[in-house]
Amino acid sequence: MMRLLVLASQYRVLIILGLTLVVSALVVPGYLAPSTLGLGLDRAATIGLIAIGLTLLLIAGQIDLSGGAVFALAGIVSVILQREIGILPAALVGILVGAVAGAINGALVVGLKVNSLVLTLATMLIFRSLAHWVTNSQPVTGTDIMLSLALAKIYLEIFTIRSALFIVLIVLLHVWLTRTIPGRNVFAVGSNPAAAKESGIASDRIVFLGFVFAGTLAGLAGVLQSLVTNTGSPVFGSELTVAVIAAVVVGGTRLEGGRGSALGTLGGVLTIGSLTIAMEFQSIPAYVQQVVSGLILILLVVLDRAVTTKGRAPGTRPALVRDKPITQGGNV
Amino acid sequence: MTDAAMEISGVNRNDRFTRGSRLVDLLSKAGLVLAILAVILYGSFASPAFFTAGNMLNVLTSMSIVGIVVVGMTFVLVVGGLADLSVPATIACGAILSLGLQPLIGPVPAFVLAVALAGLIGLLNGVLVGYVGINPIIATLGVGTIGLGIVQAAVGGVIVYGSNTASAEFAKGRLLGIPVVVLIFLAVALIGHFALSRSFWGRWTLATGGNYSAAEASAVPVKAVKAGAFVITALASGISGGLLGLTLQSARPLIGSGYEFSAITAVVVGGVSIIGGFGSVPRAIAGLVFVQLLTNVMVLQGVRTPIQGFVLGTLIVGAVGMDAALRKRGVA
Repeated sequence: MMRLLVLASQYRVLIILGLTLVVSALVVPGYLAPSTLGLGLDRAATIGLIAIGLTLLLIAGQIDLSGGAVFALAGIVSVILQREIGILPAALVGILVGAVAGAINGALVVGLKVNSLVLTLATMLIFRSLAHWVTNSQPVTGTDIMLSLALAKIYLEIFTIRSALFIVLIVLLHVWLTRTIPGRNVFAVGSNPAAAKESGIASDRIVFLGFVFAGTLAGLAGVLQSLVTNTGSPVFGSELTVAVIAAVVVGGTRLEGGRGSALGTLGGVLTIGSLTIAMEFQSIPAYVQQVVSGLILILLVVLDRAVTTKGRAPGTRPALVRDKPITQGGNV
Repeated sequence: MTDAAMEISGVNRNDRFTRGSRLVDLLSKAGLVLAILAVILYGSFASPAFFTAGNMLNVLTSMSIVGIVVVGMTFVLVVGGLADLSVPATIACGAILSLGLQPLIGPVPAFVLAVALAGLIGLLNGVLVGYVGINPIIATLGVGTIGLGIVQAAVGGVIVYGSNTASAEFAKGRLLGIPVVVLIFLAVALIGHFALSRSFWGRWTLATGGNYSAAEASAVPVKAVKAGAFVITALASGISGGLLGLTLQSARPLIGSGYEFSAITAVVVGGVSIIGGFGSVPRAIAGLVFVQLLTNVMVLQGVRTPIQGFVLGTLIVGAVGMDAALRKRGVA
């Protein structure tokens, strides 16, 4: 029984994805047509690109809640600059904005030695304000509608440029995480930064670069979204946070660092994507969709708690809960 | 270790603690009072409308609604619960229910029931964080999404209007020249202050946030205390939402958005430790006064909302950084 449970938890991403697809196919007519799946994949790519960055960060024991705001900001910059410097340079600058935002997060977390949850909550507010600031809270439009059509075009009956890019990137991340030494080091940093430091791993640098990576990908997702819709809006991405975290968590990456996989995230993203499309095809209102993604998130985190081994050796407490100082006195 | 040795090391440690926290005390208390005075001084010079009875009363009234949430949020931070992101949903729940139930069961029972149902969100948060051990940010983000979705579904995503003029007049009215909302805020703040600083529950809260394992070893019911902090915040948010609904006589599902940030900003700027174990209600309210006065000056000066958000975000980053820096000082 226990072995079965462990096995189920190991392959739970596949099980959940399979169940989602089966139920969706039963409920939604024509769900398994390539064009529907392609649409779902394209939708999932937005969540997925941000999730790629978050997977790496979570494995390193950190979190970035500002992804949705960076997504909006990068998209806006890439649209506004189109008139001045052309579409491609503008897109590159947009991605750069994402990288810079990530670098700010990383520098503050590493430099101030503060909890990344709270810090990125604050920078989320800052980046979102900047997005409202530069656009005067109005959506902005780009110059070339034809480009949007090209980007939204479906190749091989299922892939758009965006979804193909997402899949290539996540496979690359998988290879990097599992086959290279720097990749392995990320896991070491996430499960025990002090021990990682002792063994000569530059924990701070890995955490910093992790934030830059996450910011860059959120920026890339935002730029692509803006190009596809030919619009940049300061409210873009505000509902993404829960979906992205849910996707990564469905994929088995632990919120406490040190454990996770890119392929798991791929499964998680596909699950969330197929679920979203199924609900949209049934024209279920947005707030019910919110309830569903929130429920999935909570349910999976609780299940994760229940299934995975309970005791951890002292001193290996995960980064997101570890920040407790040793020095809190009782004399307050 | 012998008793004598323990005593000596205990004395030394205590000495370090008091030295550390005296510095923390001095800097955060005096610093905040000076900052408040500076804002008042600047505001009086910059705008003739600032230091008038009417404007101050406005600040006080708008401060009261978020202030009630601040009192609850103080418990969450002190107990080491990072932050409660379900506040907007809880406020919306309180506002919509207290107006929506009026025609059915009368204004006072409606208000009480609304606050109780809002407390239910807190109970869910509390169980997930305190007993299941889920990261508070993830739990409250998920529960908040679910709660808001349910509330939106319940009212069909539209606005609810008040139907009882007497309750509206009471909420907008004054007692002895002071707005009722302000009086309720003061009452909540006083209860919160005494509960945190004088009662056994408050001592448990501080102990749990300061050193979870030590508190657990000293037979403090740590799980219940941690869960309780989220219930307290939810009840406070419910009261706040109910009052907001009664004052505006209308409630929409997004009525509470942004309140979580205002509350967190106030508590953090007030010098309550983000890591837990240290803080008080007066500190948090001092932080609130500072932030509210600053916002008021910005509004009077015609500073646009996005820039205000930018300033608030920067304030959180600064305050969190200072918290970390001072904590390090306390250790050295």
